[in-house]
Amino acid sequence: MHNEIVGLLNNRIKGVEATFNKAEVGDSSISVNPAFIVDVCKLLKESGTHEFNVLQVITGCDYPEYLELSYIIASFINNTELILKVKLQKQGDSLPKIASVSDVWKAANWLERECYDMVGVEFTGHPDCRRILCPDGFVGYPLRKDFKSEESYNGMVINPASKMK
Amino acid sequence: MSVEFIGNDEKIKSELLTVNMGPQHPATHGVLRVEIKTDSEIVAEAIPHIGYLHRCMEKHCENADYRAIVPFVDRMDYLASMNMELGYAITIEKLASIAVPRRAEVIRVLVSELQRIASHLVAFGTYGIDIGAFTPFLYAFDQREKIISFFESISGGRLLYNYISIGGVSRDVSNDLIVGLEKFCAGFEDQLKMYDTLLTQNKIFIERTANVGVMDKDYCYDYGITGPVLRGAGVEWDLRKKKPYSIYNEFNFEVAVGKGLKGCVGDCWDRYYVRMVEMEQSVKIIKQALVKLREEGGEFTTKVPRVIKVPVGEIYMRTECPKGELGYHIISDGKKGPYRFKVKSPCFTNVSALGEIAPGMMIADLVATIGSLDIVLGEVDR
Repeated sequence: MHNEIVGLLNNRIKGVEATFNKAEVGDSSISVNPAFIVDVCKLLKESGTHEFNVLQVITGCDYPEYLELSYIIASFINNTELILKVKLQKQGDSLPKIASVSDVWKAANWLERECYDMVGVEFTGHPDCRRILCPDGFVGYPLRKDFKSEESYNGMVINPASKMK
Repeated sequence: MSVEFIGNDEKIKSELLTVNMGPQHPATHGVLRVEIKTDSEIVAEAIPHIGYLHRCMEKHCENADYRAIVPFVDRMDYLASMNMELGYAITIEKLASIAVPRRAEVIRVLVSELQRIASHLVAFGTYGIDIGAFTPFLYAFDQREKIISFFESISGGRLLYNYISIGGVSRDVSNDLIVGLEKFCAGFEDQLKMYDTLLTQNKIFIERTANVGVMDKDYCYDYGITGPVLRGAGVEWDLRKKKPYSIYNEFNFEVAVGKGLKGCVGDCWDRYYVRMVEMEQSVKIIKQALVKLREEGGEFTTKVPRVIKVPVGEIYMRTECPKGELGYHIISDGKKGPYRFKVKSPCFTNVSALGEIAPGMMIADLVATIGSLDIVLGEVDR
């Protein structure tokens, strides 16, 4: 199935650079160019053969040089699932950007908000991109590997030395 | 609400009133806050706010080793801990190619179906309270208590078990307990019949739930909704049948689907009814599992090293939990714990669909809709 999808993507979208990451153990995935993520998702959802009609999860993984987003999509018609991967280069303090797929699946709305909140990715074109699990005034992105919890929050000391033995 | 009367026959000017339902509210089943803009009794807009129970479990799990993660996943969906553990265990076993003895597989199916009944009983009982019927709750918790005591005798815990471990289960099930479960199954089938007359066919209950909060098939797909809510919309989709994990392919059961018996397909009554039928089917599975358990001897766990060697790679596995499809996405870098640990929570996607169907319904119908989604905030917030 993966090879077919890679062929389809490379044929229909110019510059998508879809590649098949075959895994020895676990699940294989397909990497695409982040600039075309919306086109890729639309094509996979609407092409008659694959019909990935459900977005399961959007998750980010932090590596030293880049962030890797995984879009896990499933077809409840053909009973298949697929991991789509994009790499976003880190750019200093500003957040890496990628286009939102909330027009393709409505589920993306909250999943992208969670990804923004936890991993720190800006989704351009998202209707309401704000924090969802952490409070609004929270600083930092907890699931980044370099995240350090603050010393105090709203005047309360976190892990005071007297109690940490 | 500010209402201005201008003379006697002039128009009445009114504006929307914002009401916070939750985070401490009996109808939100936990710490969900729904910000409702009301136009008298009608909901004009409902915005769900989550995160009050956020503990960043994913970060905790990334800092723990593979065996130490089991107690953490327990605490996500605390009403269905066994199902959470099962999903996690089979994900790691598949990635690390660990074989599980047959007796352990049978015990796993047994406990996860019992847990499904326990979780649906909470959904059934609290849904009655949402609608205004208190009695079903007492009957439901009476039966749930029996399941919880069984779990207590096999694992020591009443809510958070740490029972299913990687490679098997942590303790065996004795013959006395099997006899006790057989008795429970026989009694529980009568109870289900009683629930049917008590609440399911109750005229007031039907009036409150039929044709309320309708979610059709395409709406469910768009929002990634799974579990009883999707089946309530008339889709025959159950991972136990579609992608059988553990040894579910050896069991004989039917998938409950909403048919719109009291209203249209995909209303609150249908979602409720799917859970009731699922409990019946779970009893069927448990009976078959008990027969298998008497036949299967042997070990209840394989010997697994203290530090589990998981090869470099990634995996995504889904299992059918009482609330929907639970997925674990694990990226391993070959060290003793996962590099990235992501949980696809069914309740998170289910509650995200609430905002769109709420406008136009009465506040009491919103309560009925939230109850019929059967969310657990421990899992939404993680």
